[in-house]
Amino acid sequence: MTKWKKNLLVGAVVAGALAPWLTGVTEANEPGIIEFNPAEVSRILSHGPWPMNWSPDPSNRVSGSTHAVDLGERLFFDEKLSVKENVSCGTCHVAEYNWTDGVKRNQGQAMVDRNTPTLMNMRHHRWFALDGAADSLWAQSMRPIVDPRELASNATHVAQYVRKDADLSCRYEKTFGVSPAKQDDETVLVGVGKVMAAFQETLVTEFTPFDQFRDALARGDKAAAALYPRDAKRGLQIFVGKGNCSTCHTGPMFTNGEFHDVGVSHFIDGDSKKVDGGRHDGIKKLMASKFNLLGPYNDDTTRATAIKTTHVKPEHRNFGEFKVPSLRNVGYTGPYMHSGEMLTLDQVVRHYSDLNVDRLHADGESLLKPLKLTQRESADLVAFLQSLNMDRAPPWRGKEYANPPCVLNARAAADDTYAP
Amino acid sequence: MCGFREIILCGLMVLAPIARAADPLPIFDAHVHYSQEAWERMPPKEAIALLRKAGVTRALVSSTNDDGNQKLFAEAPDLILPSLRTYRTRSDMGTWFRDEGVATYLQERLKKYRYAAIGEFHVYGADVDAPVARLVVQLAKQYKLFLHAHTDVDGVERIFRQDPAARVLWAHSGFERPEKVREMLRKHKSLWSDLAFRNDHAASGKLDADWRAAFMEFPDRFMVGTDTYTAERWHYVVEHANWSRGWMTDLPRDVAERIAYKNGNAVFGSMLKP
Ligand SMILES: [Zn+2]
Repeated sequence: MTKWKKNLLVGAVVAGALAPWLTGVTEANEPGIIEFNPAEVSRILSHGPWPMNWSPDPSNRVSGSTHAVDLGERLFFDEKLSVKENVSCGTCHVAEYNWTDGVKRNQGQAMVDRNTPTLMNMRHHRWFALDGAADSLWAQSMRPIVDPRELASNATHVAQYVRKDADLSCRYEKTFGVSPAKQDDETVLVGVGKVMAAFQETLVTEFTPFDQFRDALARGDKAAAALYPRDAKRGLQIFVGKGNCSTCHTGPMFTNGEFHDVGVSHFIDGDSKKVDGGRHDGIKKLMASKFNLLGPYNDDTTRATAIKTTHVKPEHRNFGEFKVPSLRNVGYTGPYMHSGEMLTLDQVVRHYSDLNVDRLHADGESLLKPLKLTQRESADLVAFLQSLNMDRAPPWRGKEYANPPCVLNARAAADDTYAP
Repeated sequence: MCGFREIILCGLMVLAPIARAADPLPIFDAHVHYSQEAWERMPPKEAIALLRKAGVTRALVSSTNDDGNQKLFAEAPDLILPSLRTYRTRSDMGTWFRDEGVATYLQERLKKYRYAAIGEFHVYGADVDAPVARLVVQLAKQYKLFLHAHTDVDGVERIFRQDPAARVLWAHSGFERPEKVREMLRKHKSLWSDLAFRNDHAASGKLDADWRAAFMEFPDRFMVGTDTYTAERWHYVVEHANWSRGWMTDLPRDVAERIAYKNGNAVFGSMLKP
């Protein structure tokens, strides 16, 4: 039995015991059944089903390969990729924190400017990093490796390390069919990005209480739908209704994958001399990168994957825009907003409730208005958001590999199975 | 081909773009806001330094409320052309045109300080005929000021019906298509258009053909503007100036110069002279 079902049962017992009191207080403003109108129902259904279909990324020829996933996981937790051998990707992306870190901003070799984004469900994204500076998961995976504030590494260091370590070198060859010794440094760095992407593509959130409700609604199963907590239902009604939240937090991922300005300060550290340009800077970085999908490392010979990148056009509005985060497992990803300035979901809801319109352009984010929620409405919205969580945070992951040592054999490629 | 005789001329042709790059166009920024959060975070000295760094030689600036503007003007009277906003706080934005309190506020400020314009104000369609919006048109006439109007086509028409001699800077060119903007500029001789917060006229340093036609038909009627509607956006002024210089290279130099700064100087230059 899932925890929320248990909670519901307990809740039902408590409610039963308190029934006279409960009906006395709530009869007037709380009808027995929360009805959703057809427009609301269709919006709710659009947030599922979960999980979503996925197929390997054509821009990454080892996407979905079990050899790549295995090597990617090893490298993900390997501090030796950093020149000082002190920081790995796993330093800031911690499984138990839903693959983020629970702090406002984290530190590799130095403090970074932004909150660590979760890696969950990354395989369904179109742009990567809060500013969209990468257009593929593999290109994004290389960026922290070479960022001086994070792993502070470089292609030469990474390539030499992978070549010198017999086990890693073997796994690399198993994955790509070529020894890293026969590739130049940059190609090996890209290979490392691609296996790390393959590993991250396996990180997917589980079915949630919301999904149970959504599917019950789809089936017309009233009994099952009734199990979804009432406060979450009311919150959901705000989410798809007057809150307009589902306009940007769309679909099963609860994000449109694009970039918006929601009126959060983007000075860095509150210093009026330093500003985070957000999407504006991201586009510049994306276009300047030889690792974007328009470049030579895209494995997709049709180049269909690069179309979205061709269409990127910088606009003034991009300055201070950040990526709309997915809300799946949102209860485990705090602190919130691009700089982690809001510690709790209550604060986030309050931000939208009291939105400071001074910060928004009259012709920019025209949908955003202060929601002016009551205390109960705010609590309901938070209850709904919490229903997008898995029962418990993902379990520990780290340097613990059951696999036997790598042995290269002629059948290596044939051994590989694709596990989307 | 460069023969011996032509070599000097060819040399000049080759050098011309280099000279252009080395000598960035000055910018008249017609759409700057210096609102409370900006002046609290960014004292006038810092703000002026950012404008100078961007190569902005003059700027039409308004702030909510107007106090910030006066501080900025005091810091650099050679650079700042104050425009009087019709808002005491941003919450006046949707209601100012009917608000007697705003009317009083504006009249007091106009008696006390010198301005180049009233605006940027937001008002659309029939609301231009609301009492305080009408008063603003009359005050502009009385004090010989520009109106910096964030409004639609109907709004522009109504302003000119109230005062055919009004001088209007149309904020964001009303977010209208270039054909419509040209039509309006043809119809109203004292209408100018700013290009703030628009991207449709240029991408990757290349001009849109319809916009180019508009600029060529009315080289004297367009201005650029950054629209610093948040404090953070002050850090975008440099970027915006460079971006403007970029697409202007796609125009004949004399047209580029007019849109970059000469139009602003010609229209506002003689105002606020001591
Ligand atoms: Zn405006």
